[in-house]
Amino acid sequence: MAQAVVTAGPGELAHGGDPEHYTNTGVSNAKLAIWLFLSSEALFFGAFISTYFLYRGRDAQYLNKGVQNPLTPDRLFNIPFTSITSFVLLMSSLTMVLALAAIQRGDHRRLRIWLLATALFGLTFVGGQVFEFTEFYRHGLHLSTNMFGTTFYVLTGLHGAHVTMGIIWLLILWGRSMGDRLPTEKHEAVEIAGLYWHFVDIVWIFIFTAVYLIPQH
Amino acid sequence: MTDTETSTDLERLDRVGEIATAGEHQIEEMAHAHPGPRQYVLIAIVLCTLTGFEIAVSYLDTRHTNIVIFVLATMAALKFFLVCAWYMHMKMDLAFFRRLFVMGMLLATAVYGILLLFMSSTVLKR
Repeated sequence: MAQAVVTAGPGELAHGGDPEHYTNTGVSNAKLAIWLFLSSEALFFGAFISTYFLYRGRDAQYLNKGVQNPLTPDRLFNIPFTSITSFVLLMSSLTMVLALAAIQRGDHRRLRIWLLATALFGLTFVGGQVFEFTEFYRHGLHLSTNMFGTTFYVLTGLHGAHVTMGIIWLLILWGRSMGDRLPTEKHEAVEIAGLYWHFVDIVWIFIFTAVYLIPQH
Repeated sequence: MTDTETSTDLERLDRVGEIATAGEHQIEEMAHAHPGPRQYVLIAIVLCTLTGFEIAVSYLDTRHTNIVIFVLATMAALKFFLVCAWYMHMKMDLAFFRRLFVMGMLLATAVYGILLLFMSSTVLKR
């Protein structure tokens, strides 16, 4: 009896979540889960960023021992190109938040436009990363060439994988919206995807500064 | 079930109801407080300006590398704050979510800060 009263309390309806799922505290379970996930992701990316810093400039000490003219970031990075892809990813955060504002207003036409724009910006970013990796590979920087290669490919590659997952997520939402299976009251679905997307963006803010912009010497 | 047990159960239910109602009010207020597209565009302009400034600073040919690193780190932190506060709605969302995320960030900073200090001063010096 008591349990029945508790579960019938106010909850997720106020969030725009599924009306059939209530929570005791009014905090949506899905939103709680994504915040917990993002919190753990901070630790995940923190591990790779700190590993990159740990081995920064130590190539001579490890695998590059005795190699003349070793492959270092200074010789490989194309800052103007990476800056453009970084701008693209920043802009995708704007289109993502505009998609959320659109569904909250009940404007489904704009929701689809902004979701697709976000996915396209994401695809451009990933395309740029694939191009960059290909260029580095052609110059001889492989995963096991030196510590820079290992830490750089693992860190930026994992970030790229996260962006790719985000693109798939956005395209699924776009598909649901096209099939009229994303009504206004389910705007929390877009909000959760948006939180993930913005997190991926803030991780890039740090990677861009730490890996590309901070002077190597 | 005794009368005492029943009244304790009812008190507990009242408390759950209060928490839920408070949460609901906060969520309703939060929905109204969300910024509009104009503010989002404004934030995007600020983010782009900061990124442009960051890139310009990275091209500075100076011997004061530490100052460059400090400026770049400050601007990255500012961009991080702007995206979190406005685009992720941390400024307007439930404080509970904010605390949850900040906890993860602080834990990561502490764990990897200590690791970097320890590893760079001992293990990698060998």
